[in-house]
Amino acid sequence: MRDGLQATALSVASMFADGVGRLNRIHRLVPWMVVFVLLLPVPQLVTIGLSDYYVYLINKICIFILLTVGLNIVKGFCGQVTVGHVGLYAIGAVSSALLSIHLGLSFWVSFPLGVLLAGLAGIVVGLPSVRLEGAYLALATLGLGESVRIMIAVTPFLGSSTGLMLIPPPEIMGFVFDSFQSYYYLVMTAALVGLYLSFSLLRSATGRAFMAIREDVIAAGVHGINVPRHKLLAFVISALYAGAAGALFAHMPPGYIHHNNFTIIEMVTLLLMVVLGGIGHIWGGVIGAIVVTVIYDQTLEYYFYQPLMFGLSMVLLVMFMPQGIGGVIDRSISTRRFIALRQRREAAEGQDHGAA
Amino acid sequence: MALLETRQLSKNFGGLRAIADLDISVEAGSIHGLIGPNGSGKSTFFNLVTGIYRAERGSTVIFDGRDITSLPSHRIGAMGIARTFQLLRLFQEMTVLQNVMVGHHMHVPYGLFTTILNSGHVERRDAMIREEMMDLLAFIGLADYADMPASELSGGQRRLLSLGRAMAMKPRLLMLDEPAAGLSPVNVDRLLDIIMRLKDRYGLTILIVEHILKVVMETCSTVTVLDYGRKIGEGPPATVKDDPAVIEAYLGQEMNDDEVRAMLHEGVSPGH
Repeated sequence: MRDGLQATALSVASMFADGVGRLNRIHRLVPWMVVFVLLLPVPQLVTIGLSDYYVYLINKICIFILLTVGLNIVKGFCGQVTVGHVGLYAIGAVSSALLSIHLGLSFWVSFPLGVLLAGLAGIVVGLPSVRLEGAYLALATLGLGESVRIMIAVTPFLGSSTGLMLIPPPEIMGFVFDSFQSYYYLVMTAALVGLYLSFSLLRSATGRAFMAIREDVIAAGVHGINVPRHKLLAFVISALYAGAAGALFAHMPPGYIHHNNFTIIEMVTLLLMVVLGGIGHIWGGVIGAIVVTVIYDQTLEYYFYQPLMFGLSMVLLVMFMPQGIGGVIDRSISTRRFIALRQRREAAEGQDHGAA
Repeated sequence: MALLETRQLSKNFGGLRAIADLDISVEAGSIHGLIGPNGSGKSTFFNLVTGIYRAERGSTVIFDGRDITSLPSHRIGAMGIARTFQLLRLFQEMTVLQNVMVGHHMHVPYGLFTTILNSGHVERRDAMIREEMMDLLAFIGLADYADMPASELSGGQRRLLSLGRAMAMKPRLLMLDEPAAGLSPVNVDRLLDIIMRLKDRYGLTILIVEHILKVVMETCSTVTVLDYGRKIGEGPPATVKDDPAVIEAYLGQEMNDDEVRAMLHEGVSPGH
């Protein structure tokens, strides 16, 4: 029974991989366009059976995907522990919101500026990584992230206790993204573009350099990789992702942000997504964002116990499934490949003997 | 002509002088051996030359006529010095192919933005690099394992991979830190064969630290003997192995002279 299920799942997966491979040969953007088209009718389909609220939830998932994908680059691929990511998210959100509220800038200007500011802040968060490692680095980034939130909480101009309200929604040629449904197209596109860029980054020489730093800093340096530069680069790239996620979050209807959106609890949720999905697996971040957001939403009535629950599941995950969902899938694929290779060798050797 | 030269090279750890005023000169095109008992400073010497440790003031390391004493590791690597590690330090969770591709990193001719924007060109270049790296893997006999994580290789294969990764840097000087440690005699011979073929194919200069004396005696043209961070002997292997100072320092006094001679000449490694 279990074998049958596994075989079915595997053949479906291989059919899927085959299809993607075939599309990829036409042009490497083609599979992404197909996915984009398939995702277009999602809000309509969701609202047939469920309320508009679920579209809002999907939008949040898309924003979380941007965050986890960015966090995965610095933590999963470059191996640098950071707990300051949510601070960068806040910087992207607050700066884009303020620019459009006070200067009347359009979203299409305030968004890239917010992303850029978050990227610059990423250099500051990344600088300790040049000298610190592991828990010390975590502490340094935690301090930076929290200080951003506290700054927001105590400065009236940045929102303080009331938060920032009436952040104008994006608008393009008279079309206003002011509903959950219309905003979906924005965040879904952003999430897909983010995923695509992260794939091409991590398949590049730069991506390999990140992984080499994670695996062995000394060996990476000896093999010609400028370690401090690449660490900073990873921080900046992930900060750009966080900034984009923040700016998108700020302008999402109802156009309201509060410093409570950027607490350490949010950071733990984000880490849980990455760990559950599998550290170092891009798709893992997607899986984690979906699973955790849905669970979070379904347990909202037990609001009080949620931090406890999430903390506990993090401990259990690290103890029993440290490689996450993505890691488990990867491992089974690589084991299968290994077995196939051995069988091929044995077959080849058998033939040699037969010939002799 | 000397490809690598150290003058007055020193390194202190606290009060301990790990390397003291060491002058070593590695001739271009030679295979230079570095031997000495445990803790004599061989690995420290490697770490100093490759920029992992910073040498004391007054030390000079010259590679190909240029002062590399205070350069960071990656710049030294880019100048043409590759090394392997005693404990290998492979990129365990990366595939075999990715491991050698990291070695090739500095030869990738484009930056991050080109990678993301100009996909067609980069894809073709990547395919070429991949092919070149597969050739290298075939040369060291690991082509079949290209897509496997390095952690799943056997001990001998890991040693080969660390050699392949270093060779992907296209170095002029290859520094091998106990390349044959833990290998069976048959595999030691295979490894030596591969190293010699690599040397001829790429015109390498090799600096080798090895405990298995047979390796040193058979391959090296010059051997330097270290003890407590100082040079106590140097010359062709045949001369060095009969030097009484070397015999005493290298093997201690626990054995009598006959045993020592037998060991050196038969190529048995001490302590194994």
